[in-house]
Amino acid sequence: MSESSPEMDNSDTTIVSTGCCHDCGGRCILKAHVKAGKIIRFESDTGKAPQIRACARGRAYRQRLYSPQRLQHPLRRVGARGAGKFERLSWDEALDVVATHLKRIKTIYGNNAILFLPGAGNQGMLHGPTAPGLLLTQFGGFTRYWGIPSYEGALFASMATYGTIRTGHSRDDLMNSRMIIMWGWNPANTIWDPETNLWLARARENGTRIVAIDPRYTDSAATFADQWIPIRPGTDAAMLAAMAHVMISESLFDRNFIAKYTVGFDAYKDYVLGRCDGTAKTPRWAEPITRVPAQTIADLARAYAKSKPSALIAGWGPARTAIGEQYARGAAVLCAITGNIGINGGYASGFMRAYSSRETGHLIKKDPSRPIDKSKGIPSSNPVENGALPRPNSLYKLSGGTNATSARIHQSKIWDAILRGRAGGYPADLKMAYIVASNCLNQYPNSNRGAQALKSLDFVVVHEQFMTATARHADIVLPVNTFMERNDIAPPWLGSPYYIYLNKAVDSLYESKSDLEICRELAPRLGLSADFFKMSDEDILRMFASRRKDIPDFDTMQREGGLKIEMAEPIVAFKDQIRDPQNKSFPTLSGKIEIDCALLAEMDNARIPSVPKYLGHSEHYDTPLAQTYPLQLLTTHSKIRTHSTLEQVPWLQALERQGAWIHPSDAQCRGITDGDRIDIFNDRGRIRVNAYVTERIMPGVVNVCQGAWYAPDDDGVDIGGCANTLTLDEPSPGGAFPMNSALVQVERTQQNQQEKSS
Amino acid sequence: MTQMGIYFDQTRCTGCYTCMVACKDWYDIDAGPVNLMRVRCIESGTFPELFAAYLASPCYHCANPLCVQACPEGAITKREDDGIVVVDRDKCVGVDQCPRKCLKACPWDAPQFGPEAGAKMQKCDLCADRLEVGQAPICVEACPMFALEVGPIEALREKYGDNLTAVGFKYLKRFEPSACFKPKSDC
Repeated sequence: MSESSPEMDNSDTTIVSTGCCHDCGGRCILKAHVKAGKIIRFESDTGKAPQIRACARGRAYRQRLYSPQRLQHPLRRVGARGAGKFERLSWDEALDVVATHLKRIKTIYGNNAILFLPGAGNQGMLHGPTAPGLLLTQFGGFTRYWGIPSYEGALFASMATYGTIRTGHSRDDLMNSRMIIMWGWNPANTIWDPETNLWLARARENGTRIVAIDPRYTDSAATFADQWIPIRPGTDAAMLAAMAHVMISESLFDRNFIAKYTVGFDAYKDYVLGRCDGTAKTPRWAEPITRVPAQTIADLARAYAKSKPSALIAGWGPARTAIGEQYARGAAVLCAITGNIGINGGYASGFMRAYSSRETGHLIKKDPSRPIDKSKGIPSSNPVENGALPRPNSLYKLSGGTNATSARIHQSKIWDAILRGRAGGYPADLKMAYIVASNCLNQYPNSNRGAQALKSLDFVVVHEQFMTATARHADIVLPVNTFMERNDIAPPWLGSPYYIYLNKAVDSLYESKSDLEICRELAPRLGLSADFFKMSDEDILRMFASRRKDIPDFDTMQREGGLKIEMAEPIVAFKDQIRDPQNKSFPTLSGKIEIDCALLAEMDNARIPSVPKYLGHSEHYDTPLAQTYPLQLLTTHSKIRTHSTLEQVPWLQALERQGAWIHPSDAQCRGITDGDRIDIFNDRGRIRVNAYVTERIMPGVVNVCQGAWYAPDDDGVDIGGCANTLTLDEPSPGGAFPMNSALVQVERTQQNQQEKSS
Repeated sequence: MTQMGIYFDQTRCTGCYTCMVACKDWYDIDAGPVNLMRVRCIESGTFPELFAAYLASPCYHCANPLCVQACPEGAITKREDDGIVVVDRDKCVGVDQCPRKCLKACPWDAPQFGPEAGAKMQKCDLCADRLEVGQAPICVEACPMFALEVGPIEALREKYGDNLTAVGFKYLKRFEPSACFKPKSDC
């Protein structure tokens, strides 16, 4: 620790513009002050508006970069897999081992026995899974997953309804909204583009009414909302249907908009009014389901319908449920029937992407005049998947999503696929896992089953920066450097029109290497001499940048540490379609917004109806299982880490008390007081955490922020408190991950157990 | 004399703690009890009628800083030209020889002490070194919500109004803290 007055003699300090781009909804500028080869402190964006200011997570990066827990050299497992015992070995030895196993498994079992698990821990264009993916492709391919936990329900709903995931507005357009409904959306804690919170504050100051719907009184609700409506988890689709009922029965819908731009309103009306099932989806019907008073539902429906333009922004969390796409579809349909789509101040609830080179026509694409008929097999650069028929229940006839329809194993079923293979109906018997930038054991559902699966494999290699739960289950761990130790570009993610150029600030620490450097050394060992791996980092980045029309000058971007793209006006999704329906259609099969979706109708699956419906599931609050496990678990995002990244950073950990949120009424009847050690459990596992007894969560609901590191003790109790020890590994029909659908019970940890684990 | 002070827009604060961490990083202070900037959550009500606010607390550089008088060693002074309250750590004798008299005198816990034996006081000096070269304090520059501003308190009060209280912050006439607020309404 230095004296409290820092040395302001900057003569020997250089400032290098880099950034932080882990898997949150921000990519933020960090200006590293480098002295004698070491980063001594950071500033963030001090440049022109809009400034891309890093949050606490980015500002704490030095304690991650220089953490004594950083992996320093390659490691080889000694002892049982998962036991965490390793020995140091040289890079040559480690890479020889990896190459030998890759070749052996390819020869004996074929390429589809190689499971590639790329993660989102690094959102740069070059580093992270990019190079290993290319390498394995050239090696003959691999089996991969489909489905992303964060957003799969929202993605599916966006595609089915609008035919695209580019449904968002730039956040400055919030200034045009008369009302904003933040549905299960907590941008104060989960970064959703760095500037989102600022625009929400400005809209509020501008007089916009903001309503937050969430089982928790979140920081977003507390800061931005005029009204907070707590709702029982997993019942959002019921409240949305009831709002639609109010609009339909009181003629508050936009008749002209519906006629001109949508298909299938009548089918939806039949569902809402109960013409097909005898149950009218009235607010009174929804009240006992959602625990939202009927009057509150009706009032909100009227207010939203009458205060056009208004933005109903449906967060992804409520879509991370066992039937999540129904909520996301229901929200999209409300936006449509109120005519709030394609106009300033409105919003087409959905995936929320507003700006991305990938969807804004700035990416130089393959010849669009030669469409591919995917029904006869999908061309893929991955030889294992090349020619595969489209996945059942996939929206393969549409383009514009981000998920391959040729992949066969849903990410939540990876553990099951490893354990059961072809006998379980999966496309391959998986023998090895190649894991990059992913703490999958922690972040996929059902961690205990994950540990069992990883232990069953022939070989596991992990590229990592820390000894995560996943790395602990590897045979070979290869130490990877961080953003600060290499060059990269962070492209726009959801909605913000900017790139960040991450300039290398310091040399790689210890023996760590970039994922690309690892592949450079692995390629010849696999008999691959691909040119890509011979190019320098900068040349590759120049090549990537040259494919994007919105990067006019690489050198300027590199020098300035980023590129802010000035937009003449706020981005409004579907503006063209609304303005000029004769010439611009929605990229759906009908060319219109599909309230009743033809592709879903084709699937003919009651669990994935063609109009959005409120549906239950096997772990819903009203199932028999709730007798045993009466509490609903939420696994939300923590504000002091990014998923499982930045865990164990002391500055962040000290910011606030961590623990499972539980309402006083649920705590009291279990003899639990604030701060007690508690066990949260169901049939899948048991975690031991501290209780955070708070009024800020609704009764009947428990919240465990996901991302804490899975650490089972000798009794199999996860004393790390990983939320996914409790979550279900079964996707919704549309691919949503049921991270917020687990039922649990909570009890005070027994005295003798407390001493062991405290 | 110009009295430097701080403006805090409590209605904008989401409790993201960026100011706290930026300060920790800039001054290279270990995780633990020394926080020159602190953010506190104030909650009230019962489900479903709830209220929560955050209060950012640096040192408020009082016009009448009782910590200065409380220090038996004269280690704390108020700078004549800008009213910033600073500590001379060479003069501070540390917690072994002084029972944190400055901390006891401060209603807002601005004096900070590390866990080490003989810890000497540390406190926010509004990033006086940064101000000198025309930069904003690191917390101000870090805040993603642009909820903080530092400047001559008269100018801040002219710009933002002279609201002297906020949720969790009581104005104490005896100290005359150099702060003004856009408070969050707790009704």
